[in-house]
Amino acid sequence: MNGTDGRQPGPRYFGLRLGLWYATLFVVGSIAIVYLTYYLTAASLAQRDQQIIRAKLADYAAAYARGGGRVLAATVRAEQQAAPERLYVRVVDRGVETVVLSMPEGWDPATLETASARLYDGTLVEVGKSSEPRKALLARFRAVLGVVTFSIVVIALTGGWLATLSAVMPIRRLTSTVRQIIRTGRTDSRVPLAGTNDAIEELTLLFNTMLDRIEGLVTAMRGALDNVSHDLRTPLTRLRGTAELALAGAPDPERYREALAECVEEADRVLVMLNTLMDISEAESGAMQLQREPVVLSEVVDRAVELYRDVADAKGVTLKGDEGSPEGRRSIVSGDRTRLEQVAANLLDNAIKYTPAGGTVDVAIERDGLDATIVVRDTGTGIPASELPRIWDRLFRGDASRSERGLGLGLSLVKAIVEAHGGTVGVASEPGHGSVFTVTLPSITRL
Amino acid sequence: MRALLVEDDATIAEFVGRGLREAGFAVDHALDGDAGLTAALQQSYDVAIVDVMLPKRDGLSLIDELRRRSVTTPVLILSARRSVDDRVRGLQAGGDDYLTKPFAFAELLARVHALVRRATRTPEPTTLTIDDVSLDLLSRRVTRSGKVLDLRPREFALLEYLLRNPGRVVSKTMILSHVWEYTFDPQTNIVDVLVSRLREKLDKPFEKKLLQTVRGVGYVLRDEEKPPS
Repeated sequence: MNGTDGRQPGPRYFGLRLGLWYATLFVVGSIAIVYLTYYLTAASLAQRDQQIIRAKLADYAAAYARGGGRVLAATVRAEQQAAPERLYVRVVDRGVETVVLSMPEGWDPATLETASARLYDGTLVEVGKSSEPRKALLARFRAVLGVVTFSIVVIALTGGWLATLSAVMPIRRLTSTVRQIIRTGRTDSRVPLAGTNDAIEELTLLFNTMLDRIEGLVTAMRGALDNVSHDLRTPLTRLRGTAELALAGAPDPERYREALAECVEEADRVLVMLNTLMDISEAESGAMQLQREPVVLSEVVDRAVELYRDVADAKGVTLKGDEGSPEGRRSIVSGDRTRLEQVAANLLDNAIKYTPAGGTVDVAIERDGLDATIVVRDTGTGIPASELPRIWDRLFRGDASRSERGLGLGLSLVKAIVEAHGGTVGVASEPGHGSVFTVTLPSITRL
Repeated sequence: MRALLVEDDATIAEFVGRGLREAGFAVDHALDGDAGLTAALQQSYDVAIVDVMLPKRDGLSLIDELRRRSVTTPVLILSARRSVDDRVRGLQAGGDDYLTKPFAFAELLARVHALVRRATRTPEPTTLTIDDVSLDLLSRRVTRSGKVLDLRPREFALLEYLLRNPGRVVSKTMILSHVWEYTFDPQTNIVDVLVSRLREKLDKPFEKKLLQTVRGVGYVLRDEEKPPS
């Protein structure tokens, strides 16, 4: 483990923070609700007591009005003996004589809640009720609410912990996989999918896709490196052999001169080969930097034809430039001009190389919908059906081509560049009569 | 002509230095970026050849420092990297030309001469000559011993390029990029074909052969028959 571990908060802290936030909000919310419930209940109980007292007060005032103190006393006595809710009743006669009509046993006058009314003759009637039962009820209610609140807090903390754990778990899996990849350098690990179809799952999926891409690139690069080192061994052996042979023989300036010239030529071939192999690998792995611009395909083809005109003449091969359809000649593709020129040149090079004197190579640009196709036809030796699929392989030299000078990389480069441009290559051949090579690229102009 | 070579690889420095001296340059060699900078500030050079990867101070920073101190010596950058980005970075730092390793010495020499020529602003001649051959750039007429040669455009371009590098060997790659403006090697004998066509018209009817092949290296236009030994 390196020092970077100490700096980052990490998923553990992230989960803890998330859980604490969740629990705090939940607990504060629950306590607010509980407190509000208690307050409203207490208030409404007190209000109910007041209503009872006031109602009774009105009753007794009416009784007093009907028949004075006696009727009131009788009414109170009759009511209070049977009543489920007993009250304290006191009458103060014109401010002097106090008559207590009802005083339930065990009531503490200090806890009484009272209301009074002055009657028409100055008599004061006071009705009271003990607040003890209400307070006892509220006390029990508080106890219940306390238990409930405690449960809520416990549930909140546990739930929060579980919820954040399940939210953080995929992140932890992601982290540990990444850490493992960093530690081991192995890019074939993948983060397991939970199948939850959420944002984390999407991130995991994207991460795995990224790993796929990286692994592909790394594998391609390793493969390219293996191939390059393998392919360079042969010319390097020739190079070394030539020099060694010259040194081993009798000293002879002319021989040395000859051997040195061969060495330079061989070294140049190695360089061309290295550059071409790098180009192919870059194009195949998608690492080739294409300087894309709109390119008129006919300009590319015309330049290649011009380049090879003299070579074809010297070999006695008729090279016919593009006289194709005007639609074809107007085709514009989005591509790297130099790379496309390389494609056209390599196709012509190949065709002229395998066409004997007296033969013909002709080039045309054809148009089909959005596709523009460079067609190179030759009347050369042709390619046996068995070799057709392999001609695009690197360093493949068919039986017919072994006697020809070349690296066996031209067609591979054509294919790699064309495919890097999003195009396709094709070949059809009739041994003894000739071959047709096609390069199809998406055109950016409409017909 | 004085040239400064800043290169840490002994073998490369050896063959470039020797080649430049044979071509008539006085060559100073610095092994690292700091030594190169000191030398370039103390002396006035006609051209500097600077490797990018150097100990102590890399080539690009060396060039940058020279340009900041208003030293305008033309600089040819040598680098093992061939991507377009690296080339652009080199030229942005103030380099005047860029050559990728491995290179043909012939190409390095031609580029060095081109840089010196550009810097000293030698007036552009309108007629190029060697021995009894004369090429008029304005009328595009070529004569040898007073006889007009009928050259096709590419043959004319090749002869012009060879005449601009009299006595210096030019490689196939250089011909390809100057005559056709192709920057890649099409892996074929295009240049050989063109050279033999030019030779047919330039040398075949005459006793003295001017257009010579240097095996493994390239072609040269020389008015002496044998290469100097």
